[in-house]
Amino acid sequence: MGSDFIQLLLNGLSLGAVYALFALGYTLVFSVLGVINFAHGAVFTLGAYFTYLLIGGAVGANGLLAGFQLPIALPFWLALPLAGLGAATVALLIERLAFRPLRERNADPLLALITSLGAGVVLVNLIQLLVGAESYAIPSGSLGGLPVAIQLFGAQVRTVQLLLLLVATVLLAALSLWIDGTRSGKALRAVSEDPTTAQLLGINSHRMVQIAFGLSGFLAGLAGGLVGLSVSLAGPYFGIGYGLKGLGVLVLGGLGSVPGAVLGGLLIGLAEACVPAAWSGYREVVAYGVLFVVLLVRPQGLLGKPLATKV
Amino acid sequence: MATPIPPPITRPIPPPPLRAQQPLLSLEGLAVHYGGISALRGIDLVVYPGELVALLGSNGAGKSTTLRAISQLVPPAAGRVCWHGGCINGLPTHRTVKLGIAHCPEGRRVLGGLSVADNLALGAWLRRDQAGIKVDLERCYGLFPRLAERRNQLAGSLSGGEQQMLAIGRALMARPTLLMLDEPSLGLAPKLVAEVMGALAGLHRDGLTMLLVEQNANAALSIADRGYVLESGQIGLSGSAVELVNSSELGHSYLGV
Repeated sequence: MGSDFIQLLLNGLSLGAVYALFALGYTLVFSVLGVINFAHGAVFTLGAYFTYLLIGGAVGANGLLAGFQLPIALPFWLALPLAGLGAATVALLIERLAFRPLRERNADPLLALITSLGAGVVLVNLIQLLVGAESYAIPSGSLGGLPVAIQLFGAQVRTVQLLLLLVATVLLAALSLWIDGTRSGKALRAVSEDPTTAQLLGINSHRMVQIAFGLSGFLAGLAGGLVGLSVSLAGPYFGIGYGLKGLGVLVLGGLGSVPGAVLGGLLIGLAEACVPAAWSGYREVVAYGVLFVVLLVRPQGLLGKPLATKV
Repeated sequence: MATPIPPPITRPIPPPPLRAQQPLLSLEGLAVHYGGISALRGIDLVVYPGELVALLGSNGAGKSTTLRAISQLVPPAAGRVCWHGGCINGLPTHRTVKLGIAHCPEGRRVLGGLSVADNLALGAWLRRDQAGIKVDLERCYGLFPRLAERRNQLAGSLSGGEQQMLAIGRALMARPTLLMLDEPSLGLAPKLVAEVMGALAGLHRDGLTMLLVEQNANAALSIADRGYVLESGQIGLSGSAVELVNSSELGHSYLGV
């Protein structure tokens, strides 16, 4: 019983950590632009494919890149951050192509939501065109000398779950330290509160927006690589489900709140892990049920600011 | 609304500025449109180093638009904004701060979710001279002791007057060459208006150049060297502060009566 509980707890926490990383990417962009970046799920997917390619994985028989393999095969600990950087680059590109032209013309933020959705669709289809729609698996032996599973308090725990939890914790801690404790983090908050005033203080708000996109892409890429290692890459669309869940987490925690994103992620992750394996088809029901109930009671989300407009 | 009684003018009339000097800021035929509506219709205005210039006018006359055009928050439709004689039209706003123009916006616009100290620190965002920043921070707390008491409080929890002091202090933290203030007396009790104006007069005595936008003409002219009166996007009247105060036209053009 005890070991079952630990297993369940770890499943829930590691799943929740992925959701939290995901939702934080949304939060970063939302906080500076007030818009949800719908291409975020596609960036996550790309992170997984980048990781797969960087550790030396070969492309399957379908797609334009059929049979392609990088001449190098990096260890996982190196491939993962590189994939994160690749994903960050793509996120910056999305900002440049789908967001900035609208911002420069002072367009309604709602339009950026649509262009980002378009950018996401383009990316997903590009992936399908290049590497096909089949699923890929990152071999679990890629963790170097680390064992696939270890014993922890009598429970059999997959190493990748611990790794996910560890990476997510470190990233979340680093991010909140940056936002709350550094000059540039406070400048980001200034842009998020009032972009015009931020500019009047000499803060280059375009630069801060780029930083937010770069960081959010990096987080998504890492999450994608880790999930790819944990459950395999189930085709170009596999980020979409996580993307929707991440949105749910974002709303559950409270739009724009960093601790809210973490709390919401863990809550949904744990709720899903509590669903017995035999009923796994009902996981989504439980996740979105939690969201539904919380929003009935607290429409602003768990840690969000009240919706009433202030004077 | 009770208008504070203007203090009697007892201070000596300042000497006219040396016109041989190059203006710090000059607006040449500046026009701004919002959509199809013209907010400024070609105004000329100069600010010489060390001056405190008041820009007066009623609601909607174009005062805030003038400051927003100088900061490049709105693009000029015609004319030029010149800084030390060079045109700065089209410069990104954050670069105008680097030039030495600090704009303390209308409605204070303090960052409510950050502490007083953080707001002030962000005022010095472009500076790297830690020692100088520290000196200016202490000077700012000296100018507005209430900010020092509340330095760790969230800016959003301050009273209106304190927020105004914070907004001015934050602009000063950039160590600007020109401080532009948009309606610092707006919504403040008469006693606080006097306190804020007193602080501005002190800064002026220390040599800071200021462009002060005010609806409260009496308060502004009590500390200004010169003034311009905007009337529906055009300069209606200009002159030394004393001339403007004693001018019968001021009430006329300003209040529209």
